[in-house]
Amino acid sequence: MSNKNISPELWEKVEVHASRSEEITRKSLTYWQDAWRRLKQNKLSMLGLALIIIMIMFASFGSMFTEWDYSSQTLKNANLPPKMDVVKLPNDVYGFVHREYTLFEVDETGHIIDRLEPTNSMLDIMQNKRRIYEINGEEVVLDFSFISDAKKEGKIAEKGFELTVNGEELKTVKSLWNKTYLFGSDDLGRDLFARVRYGATISLLIALVATLVQFFVGVFYGAIAGYAGGSVDMIMMRIVDVIATVPLLLYVILLMVVIGPGLKTIILAMGIIYWVGMARIVRGEILSLKEQEFVMAAKTLGASTWRIIARHLVPNALGPIIVSLAMMIPSAIFTEAFLSFIGLGVPAPMASWGTLANDAVKALRSYPFQLLWPSLAISITVLSFNFFGDGLRNALDPKLRR
Amino acid sequence: MGNYLVKRLLSMVITLWFVITITFFLMHAIPGGPFVREKELPPEVIEALNEKYHLDDPLYVQYFDYLKGVVTFDMGPSFKMTGVEVTDLIKKGFPVSAKMGGLAVLFVLLLGVPIGIISALKQNSWIDYIVTIIATIGVAVPGFVVATIYIYIFSSKLALVPSFGLESAKGYIGPVLALAFFSLAFVMRLMRSSMLEVLGEDYIRTARAKGLPEFIVIYKHALKNAIIPVITYVGPMIASVMTGSFVIEKIFAIPGMGKYFVESVGNRDYTVLMGTTVFYAALVIVAILVVDVAYGMIDPRIKLGD
Repeated sequence: MSNKNISPELWEKVEVHASRSEEITRKSLTYWQDAWRRLKQNKLSMLGLALIIIMIMFASFGSMFTEWDYSSQTLKNANLPPKMDVVKLPNDVYGFVHREYTLFEVDETGHIIDRLEPTNSMLDIMQNKRRIYEINGEEVVLDFSFISDAKKEGKIAEKGFELTVNGEELKTVKSLWNKTYLFGSDDLGRDLFARVRYGATISLLIALVATLVQFFVGVFYGAIAGYAGGSVDMIMMRIVDVIATVPLLLYVILLMVVIGPGLKTIILAMGIIYWVGMARIVRGEILSLKEQEFVMAAKTLGASTWRIIARHLVPNALGPIIVSLAMMIPSAIFTEAFLSFIGLGVPAPMASWGTLANDAVKALRSYPFQLLWPSLAISITVLSFNFFGDGLRNALDPKLRR
Repeated sequence: MGNYLVKRLLSMVITLWFVITITFFLMHAIPGGPFVREKELPPEVIEALNEKYHLDDPLYVQYFDYLKGVVTFDMGPSFKMTGVEVTDLIKKGFPVSAKMGGLAVLFVLLLGVPIGIISALKQNSWIDYIVTIIATIGVAVPGFVVATIYIYIFSSKLALVPSFGLESAKGYIGPVLALAFFSLAFVMRLMRSSMLEVLGEDYIRTARAKGLPEFIVIYKHALKNAIIPVITYVGPMIASVMTGSFVIEKIFAIPGMGKYFVESVGNRDYTVLMGTTVFYAALVIVAILVVDVAYGMIDPRIKLGD
């Protein structure tokens, strides 16, 4: 410290300009610019936003990565996993043994060529628990009698099958990623990638529409109730209470019977119930906002009720409204999945993440990958909306402004 | 307080009455009726059935009969299961669901609240990070996924627990866990953030400054205020645990209320559907009332009666 040279210039007086003392050095930002600036600083919420954009891109353009349609079936190729342990067949082609003990030919990049047809009779397959194939004149035997043999002796089998060529066992040479069905295929041989992508459009559409309804109806209703106050408010909020107490399922079932099952019904049912929470939030905000001076000023200037609500009150309540919207999307995705899961979802062959999960549960023990993709998609989407919503709440809260 | 309770009970009854009325008329607005089958029944049979279930009475008579039935807890016979009363189904199914749901709620409160507190007290420690990660993932993974993964790992692969039913104590682990998962994560997060907020308040500094032991500062001063948001959440949580149990009961094949409810959806068994709906609605309304009363006991600033 003591060595520090303090040059005489430092002691010179700084000129003070009367004009500059009033200058604003910090760039003037509007409320939304400032919120965006703070949102950008929050890494997690930016990650959430990026994931949301990726998910929307996946829903819109994901079909480019697969040759299949969400509804095209190839029964022969049912339940193929995304990752295959392959062996080298005598004709120098890779072979993959399906969990149903059938043999598939696979090329070196992982494309499925075809399912091979056994040469032995159906009776022989069932009785001796083996399939015999003829490849390049050599006899390939797929013996899958181990599990039933072990069961007879009361033991647990060490392996499910054995693949032999002329008595010599074929060992797994490597694992290949299934290029024909990137995410594997379902029990009807439909491409899971195409179905998860299709499910993304359905699930996101339902979430979007539920949110839009919530925004328009909920904000409008809540604003009127809050601004009117008194007995109007009282009656309107009791209506909200009643709507909220009847379970969502009941609306869905009723609409299902009246309109018939489908996408429309779910969207309508969620539209009917989802605005309720928003109406409560907006009403609460408006109740406190309407007592403030700027409303009185607007009234004094002769602004109409409609103008006060639309131009003065709602914009001031927009922060909580937007946060509630961002938080409601995951809940809408959850609800849709839940409805589909108990069999009230979109009808086949359409698919949403919920119906895909429901379909996968049946075969969970054998093909767990079928549940993995839809639940992963649900979890990632919900997580990213939660991250984004959290960041948004912090960014829009003026108390946290720095 | 007494005045407030009377007022609340009255509004509770009115809300319930609305729910019953809406449910009743919606159900009767459904075209087709309960006896529409693939193979058409002879008109005499339909007439006899209508008479048996009093469906030939005018709608308002049916409505008042139903209201009377709800008050005396007699929801009428099931349309699809012959000789079964809706009330009996509820009596049989509800204890099962309530036991499971009650355990889940206890699990959430006994685990979620302390973990949330610890996480807040040790902010930015590794415990806090782990809790935050679990809480974040917990609210993003649907209960049915938790349930199926649990069955896959612990029942199919490791064979440690039964995959369905509640015959043994072990059977409860899965359903309760799956049921509590979302709420547990949520309560942990809620408790942590509200505790952090309260710990920054001036009165906590005052309490510390006057030399109170840390234990008393936390449990007597901070916790009482920090737990209020959690209590607000408990009412809706009971409701969500109850409705969430539809799916969990289906996955674990548990003969609770949810099973009958979902079955009645599939069968279009209107009386069962109506009975269970009204019962659930009543449950939710009572839960919210209990929470509101509990509020007043914990936070003297909240005056009941406004």
